[in-house]
Amino acid sequence: MKKLSLFTICLIILIGSWVFLEFVVGGIISVPIPNSVIAMYMGLIVIAILVHISVEDSQFREFLRPIHETLVDDRRRVHRRVLVVLIPLFLLGYTYSIIAQRANPPGSPRDAHPSPPLELTYKDEGIGTMQDVVNPFRHYEKDDPEAFKAHVENGRRVYHQNCFYCHGDHLDGQGHFAPYLQPLPANFQDPGIIPNFQESFFFWRIAKGGPGLPAAGTPWDSAMPIWEDHLTKDEIWDVILFLSEYTGYQFRTFGEAH
Amino acid sequence: MRIRTIALLLTVFGMLVVFNSAYAQNAPEASEKGKEVYENSCAHCHGVEGRGDGSAAENLLPKPRDFTRGLYKIRSTEAGQLPTDQDLFDIITEGMPGSSMPGWETALTANDRWEVVAYIKTFYDGFKENENPPKQITLEGKIPYSEQSVEIGKELYVELGCVECHGNVGRGDGTSAPTLTDSWGFQTWPANLTQGWNYRGGFDTEDIFKRFIGGIAGSPMPAFEGDSFLNFGLTAEESKRLIELENKDEMTEAEEEESGQFYEKMDTAVDIALSIKEGAEMSTTQMQTYNDAMKVVYEKSWHLANYVKSLMPEERPEPAIGNNVLRSQYVQGELPAFDDAAWETFEARYFPLVGQVVIEPRQFNPTIDGVHVKSFYNDTEVVFLFVWDDRTHTTGDETDETTQKPLEDALAVQFPVKVPQGPTAPKPYFLWGGRLPVYLWHWKASTPDQVTELTAKGINNAETQEAQGELQVQSAYTDGQYKLWVKRTLKTDDKKDLQLEPGVFVPIAFSVWDGSNADVDTKLTMTSWYTFTLEPVPSSRRFVYPPIIAILSVGLLFGLRAFVQRRNTEDV
Repeated sequence: MKKLSLFTICLIILIGSWVFLEFVVGGIISVPIPNSVIAMYMGLIVIAILVHISVEDSQFREFLRPIHETLVDDRRRVHRRVLVVLIPLFLLGYTYSIIAQRANPPGSPRDAHPSPPLELTYKDEGIGTMQDVVNPFRHYEKDDPEAFKAHVENGRRVYHQNCFYCHGDHLDGQGHFAPYLQPLPANFQDPGIIPNFQESFFFWRIAKGGPGLPAAGTPWDSAMPIWEDHLTKDEIWDVILFLSEYTGYQFRTFGEAH
Repeated sequence: MRIRTIALLLTVFGMLVVFNSAYAQNAPEASEKGKEVYENSCAHCHGVEGRGDGSAAENLLPKPRDFTRGLYKIRSTEAGQLPTDQDLFDIITEGMPGSSMPGWETALTANDRWEVVAYIKTFYDGFKENENPPKQITLEGKIPYSEQSVEIGKELYVELGCVECHGNVGRGDGTSAPTLTDSWGFQTWPANLTQGWNYRGGFDTEDIFKRFIGGIAGSPMPAFEGDSFLNFGLTAEESKRLIELENKDEMTEAEEEESGQFYEKMDTAVDIALSIKEGAEMSTTQMQTYNDAMKVVYEKSWHLANYVKSLMPEERPEPAIGNNVLRSQYVQGELPAFDDAAWETFEARYFPLVGQVVIEPRQFNPTIDGVHVKSFYNDTEVVFLFVWDDRTHTTGDETDETTQKPLEDALAVQFPVKVPQGPTAPKPYFLWGGRLPVYLWHWKASTPDQVTELTAKGINNAETQEAQGELQVQSAYTDGQYKLWVKRTLKTDDKKDLQLEPGVFVPIAFSVWDGSNADVDTKLTMTSWYTFTLEPVPSSRRFVYPPIIAILSVGLLFGLRAFVQRRNTEDV
């Protein structure tokens, strides 16, 4: 086999690294890597190659040799003619695609964890501070398992009469209305949802819905209804019990449980 | 060595296939595990006792299945038969599109799903009593899809009476569509055959074929079997001839005799079919007559299935999200009129609808799937074409029982009054605005040539604008489909109107009312915010810069060559 020229090896390293980052790391191993990050890595690789080929004069000449040959050597006439057509054609197509690219709508940034108000309310009635309010039926879990079960079952009923259209039979945010909503309904089976919040936070999000979200961090396009208009305070607490019972996730608590 | 390895692999593979198919055929014995999974995942709709009366059932239509009567819609088995275990397993796995039954493939393990199949069967004694496995529909003799077959199917669609429920072109808008009820007395709508993605049991030609032969148990859709199939016992040609004779005002004596013979033939075949259904023993000749007759039914069903398949797009239209936004196309001069052929050149954007469940009265069971939208604009005006399927043309002749308001079909297109500037600027509340107002075009079926402009700060806080008449409107209802054409100038003098200019991304949303689904006031079907833009005319720079760059690059290459050549000579 003919020995590869230094130029070809550098070319292979460059293309190989790009394929590796774009498709292997960003496809098979992990999620796609942003173009800016890929550009940064590729920049580093180019610098490394440049350093490598310019260490010695002979090395540098060896690197330039194929380029020289292609430009002037008669044996490379065919290569030359192909390149003198291909390079301008590529640039023609590339600049056209950049200029003719149509504008796309701006993305809609959203804050996954909106900050709740300090005071928790139901309609206009104050319940307490967000930090301190606990689910009034949570203590039955230890004190009176039968009563606890009744509350969970009531929560199950409330959920399936109101919530499952969007949040799904399996609480996975994939109800039959869900595919057409933006942002998508919350997925309670996601381990990052329930364990990260206190029950009071859930009460707030359920009671006040999309319109109750804070002005900071807009735009809020959430289709979540204002459930205090439809559900009693107890029903909301019950449905919160059901969410953790069904998924098996524990809500976050601070300090000692009451 | 290599041959032995291959043989070994083949054996293992073969065993896996055999094991899998054997495993797939039958559910295990009903167990406590099945009960537990059922009660945790299914009972809220289907009820603890399988009566289809769980807590969610009240607000659902189609209703969750009542398992106590052994009526299953989606089966691979012949008319009147129970489903196979595999049928039940598949429905649980894949769910039923167009209804609230989700697929459980990711939520339940295969084992759990089999346990549920076994448990569901305990709700109906028929599964225990039937010792013979249900008879499956044979798919042999499939007639491949071809234009010719579609043509035959199209004729059969009329001949067999499909039109009466499913309508002229299959949008579920037949004359008897609004009167249908299922075996439990609940209202049910015939399928819109042009929306394959909503077929409960899939929309492959084979799926459609199975629904014909097996019927959709519990629904008004009949199975194609001996005692109900049109002209059962006649060949396709004989059947055509008989229809021709029956349509004559007066028959000659010879014709009377001919048709008499046909009726005799049919009577014989139907009698045999009925006897077979009752389980009677048949002679070989009788079986031959029956099999010949069923062969005709099967053939016709394949043609009809091919026709139905031809009615739907390959896939559900992509919702207009992400970069797939509605882009109004620029045209020079006059904008296309209502029935201009230019509309055909625009690929519509699709806006799927969901029920409005935020404000009472709410709509949990929408009947309108979505709105297709096209748009063109020129230097001064913009025109839209809104197209949506609705099975009935309701124009306010009937009133709603609770509100006493007239029931009618309607559509509202919603824009913000002011376009939010930048991605973090708030949009008005998607449901007819709130703190920030929205601007609406409200069209009603009772006044089809008129669109009212509204300003709203909430769905119960809308007012009709004083300045009207800025919109030109035309509409039509044909074969279960509304078409609404609206034209407006880009700029108006009214400060409450949205002002339009090219290149700006404008939020757009829709509200649709189906009068026959008791949609009135806030009981409606809607979308949240989508995006629309007047697509700017592409810059002519795209024809200038690229050639310049290409020419420069050629020059650069030659320059480089000259440079290297000169240096080479100097070196020498």
